[in-house]
Amino acid sequence: MSTRTAAGTPTHREDVDVVGRRWRLGVGLVIVADASFVAAMLFGYRYLRGLNTEGAWLPHGSATAPIWASWLLAAGLLLSAVVFRWGEKGIRAGDRARLVLSSGVGLFLLVMVGVGQVVQIASFPFAIAASAYASSMYLLAGANLFHVVLTGFLGLAMWNRARLGKYSATENWQVGIVSLWWAWVALAAGVSALTTSFIVSPAIGG
Amino acid sequence: MRRLNVVTAVAGGLGLALPGWAIARHFLEENDFGPDQVTVITMVCWAIGFMTGIGAFNGPIGWLRGHDLTPEDELFLAGKDQGIRRYFRFTTDHKVVGIQYLALTMVLFGVGGTMAMLIRTNLISPNSNFLSPQEYNAIVGLHGLIMIIATIIMVTGPFGNFIMPMMIGARDMAFPRLNALSLWLIVAAVPVLLSATFLGGIPTGWVGYAPLADQAPPGMDAYMMTIIIFAISSAVAGANITTTVLTMRARGMTWNRTPIFVYGVVASVGLAIPAFPMFMASQVMLGLDRTMGGRFYVASGGGSPWLYANLFWLMGHPEVYVILIPAMAALMELTAVFSRKPLFSFNTAVLGIVGISVLSVMVWAHHMYASGWAPNLNGAFMLTTEMISIPTGMLFLVILGTIWRGRIWTRLPMMATYAMLWNFIIGGITGLYLSDVPLDYALHGSMFVTAHFHYTLMGAGLTGAIGALAFWFPKMTGRMLNERFGFISFWLVQIGFNVTFIGMFAVGLAGQPRRVFTYNNLLATGNFVSTIGAYAIGIGMLFLMYAVISSWRHGSLAPSNPWGSKTLEWTVPNPIPLENFTVLPVVTSDAYGYGEEPFEPIEGPTRRDELEPAHVGSAADEQSTEGARP
Amino acid sequence: MTQTEPVTAQIRMWWQRVEIKRIVWIWLGITVVLAIFALIVPARVMGSPASPTMRAVESTMTIFSVAAAPVMALVLSVAVYSLTGWRSRGSEPPIGDGPPIRGSGRVTATWMVVSSVLTMFVLIWGLGEMQSLSAEASAPNAMVVNVTGQQWVWTFSYPQNGNVESDQLYLPVNRPVVFHVTSKDVIHSFWVVEMGIKVDANPGEVTKTGVVPDTLGTFVVRCAELCGLLHAHMETQAHVVSSTDFAAWITAQESRAS
Repeated sequence: MSTRTAAGTPTHREDVDVVGRRWRLGVGLVIVADASFVAAMLFGYRYLRGLNTEGAWLPHGSATAPIWASWLLAAGLLLSAVVFRWGEKGIRAGDRARLVLSSGVGLFLLVMVGVGQVVQIASFPFAIAASAYASSMYLLAGANLFHVVLTGFLGLAMWNRARLGKYSATENWQVGIVSLWWAWVALAAGVSALTTSFIVSPAIGG
Repeated sequence: MRRLNVVTAVAGGLGLALPGWAIARHFLEENDFGPDQVTVITMVCWAIGFMTGIGAFNGPIGWLRGHDLTPEDELFLAGKDQGIRRYFRFTTDHKVVGIQYLALTMVLFGVGGTMAMLIRTNLISPNSNFLSPQEYNAIVGLHGLIMIIATIIMVTGPFGNFIMPMMIGARDMAFPRLNALSLWLIVAAVPVLLSATFLGGIPTGWVGYAPLADQAPPGMDAYMMTIIIFAISSAVAGANITTTVLTMRARGMTWNRTPIFVYGVVASVGLAIPAFPMFMASQVMLGLDRTMGGRFYVASGGGSPWLYANLFWLMGHPEVYVILIPAMAALMELTAVFSRKPLFSFNTAVLGIVGISVLSVMVWAHHMYASGWAPNLNGAFMLTTEMISIPTGMLFLVILGTIWRGRIWTRLPMMATYAMLWNFIIGGITGLYLSDVPLDYALHGSMFVTAHFHYTLMGAGLTGAIGALAFWFPKMTGRMLNERFGFISFWLVQIGFNVTFIGMFAVGLAGQPRRVFTYNNLLATGNFVSTIGAYAIGIGMLFLMYAVISSWRHGSLAPSNPWGSKTLEWTVPNPIPLENFTVLPVVTSDAYGYGEEPFEPIEGPTRRDELEPAHVGSAADEQSTEGARP
Repeated sequence: MTQTEPVTAQIRMWWQRVEIKRIVWIWLGITVVLAIFALIVPARVMGSPASPTMRAVESTMTIFSVAAAPVMALVLSVAVYSLTGWRSRGSEPPIGDGPPIRGSGRVTATWMVVSSVLTMFVLIWGLGEMQSLSAEASAPNAMVVNVTGQQWVWTFSYPQNGNVESDQLYLPVNRPVVFHVTSKDVIHSFWVVEMGIKVDANPGEVTKTGVVPDTLGTFVVRCAELCGLLHAHMETQAHVVSSTDFAAWITAQESRAS
């Protein structure tokens, strides 16, 4: 996926902008697929909550996870995405150092979020088998962790490649698509936090 | 990178899976979910090891480290100068990937078809005792899943990859490495899928309904992992194909001038991109239920089987159009050629494909009329489902209109169109019956449903794929497909098919449930007839396999455009240069100018050995890698 | 053919074409054959109906099949004719192209209208059917029978009749009955074949279906959803008896239980 060599076929080179737009569309489509996965998980949460089969969505008196934790992690992700975007704007103007800094900081924030996500999972006051609510929380948290790890790989790559001088004012489409993905991951975490903020449906009561 | 191939992939897979299995067993065997945890861990290790061994991670890791591929690396990856070895590697050339998909598809059909023979043999009489109930249920599930995967990839895989880029005047796909990735992920998944055989099988039928899936043996974990891997492959392939078509069509190829096959492939993956991840999500939830005691589908824990059913069918219905649309589009493409007429009402064809695609995401709960999940919604889903018959009918209009007053050349590809017309009208009409809610209450879960979807997916879908193979075989292999054996196969398969499944409609109407290893004595005749038909299909398919393999090796050499088709892929010479076009074509009209442009004599499948030998194996053309020799 | 000529004259000219005539005759022939098939075969194969529901199912099957006959015949007649009238003979390639017919607004429009009308018909028929059948099943004096599916047996209990339990289904003739269906383990599907009713049995949920059995006799109850190893054997019988016989059976069951 290098800038210089992946632009077109081995013997016929294409314009960098053309390749960049193409990759942006490709990543956009992968985001659509991932969004469908996230939507399915959130649908699962809402549907099971609504059905409350045998009254066992959240058995009376069970512990629930603190809502603020998911929001904090989502905020951390959002911050990291914003930081990286700042770096993306920098490289568009030719500022390599800004990209290196922002991807480093962004990566650091991702690691923090990742650690925090692990802590959240480990400190859930319920086992995965406790209820449908519990299972859903583990699933959503696990999926978020997966997102964070994947994005961490990309962040590390960005930092390293920026450091090596791979990007410039004219060749930075890879930065752009990583930024796009990063923003999506932050959005997914936010939507997830929003959904799991509603724990008991009117049908269940408190 | 240069030493990696399928052998190192298998070694990598085993190399990680065996220790993974041993370690997992040591630590996890004792607890409740031990067997499933061990199975899943082993399979994940296999997949990661396999993909490492084939070199799938080399690209991303090299990228992370800042080591980018040189043009020589890229040429190597594209398979330059490697002869037959490039088919056993992580090769990026779309033509190689297309052939790999074709081989993979044939293997899957072979295994799934053999299972079908076993199933029908067991049902030849009410108490054949050919298979035990457990074996029978396991084989039914495996047959279903293998066939679903095979039919999903059967047109888009070989022809969407090999033919489509040339058809739009491109040199390769948008993301050649992702192309290879999507193929090798499926190759990695096949052993996982087949391992179900000795893990207790898939006893739930291909739908894998929970909570039966929760209590199933570890074969169910094979189902789960296969789907997860397959969903990733599909998402990647979908992004690749869509981006290729949207951004890499030749100059002048406006949407009006884009061949209908391209529309079909894009619509198919366009549906797959949002649909398959929903299935994947249902499987992850199943995985959590099975390996950690999750409560997604367990009623006593607040879970619901309706969650599974909804997620499944949200995928499951679009998925049948993922299967069907490319096959129909390929038939539309070849019908124009073999009628020597423009495609009748191109806009209607596009509208039909788009209409089917859009509606297909709104009909899913017609599979759940009898489930009781939302009886008040049954009417709404009846409406959307019956409306789908309108765009589907449009496709019939296009094909009939194309045939109308044409000069029909009844070669094997065209016969596939006729077979489809017969099979799909039956499949479509029986689908209409099932869309009617009260009728569905009587027919759901019976062999009538089985017959209906075989008529559509196999009678129209697989037939279309075989037509596509017969049509594009000369371009893909440089040889003509043996038509004598092709026709023997065609008649055996089509007649056998109709005998089998009309028999099945009958026993379904008479009350035989589906997925049963035995049945009421009164239904013996219908079942017996079905089984005989099935054997005819089996023999016919063997003829086809023989025809394909022997023609590939010894078939008469094909001219560059034996059928006189006007689409771009036929303008490239055989053997096909590595990057297809030295100069990218500029398109000034669509590919359906039959009767409008001056008639160019059709070369036809004449033997050209006298002319070819000097060209075959010529080292002068360094870039040629395709179609020259077996 | 210009737009200015009256439609009847155009149709007459169109009819003059040999191929049109032949196709229409083939179409008529196939339609008749298929219609006869439709009128006789499906209902016969489905067997004797044991309820108004099944009667409606069988007549719908017949009507839809008869309506489908001309549609299928259209596809087949064009296909069949093309193989004789428009075929390029021999295995050599054709030596010319066909006429460059890119489309026909008229044909497409007609096709769309006809297919929409047929779809509407099927839809309205279906909705009407659903209306009358749901009215039946929710009749106020309907008897309630609880149906429980479990791997791999059906159990019936009669909450309004002393909570009698049985593994055979007994029903009084001509009395609306509503089934409350559930499962103890996996998804099953409660299917009274000859009465044309079916609803899934889900763990943790109660689903409903209803019917009016109007024929005396013994009928089969099957499971219609793969539920494990012996799904094929998950079968029992439904006995439709007179109300007096039913009352007697209830009494017998009650005394057996006590």
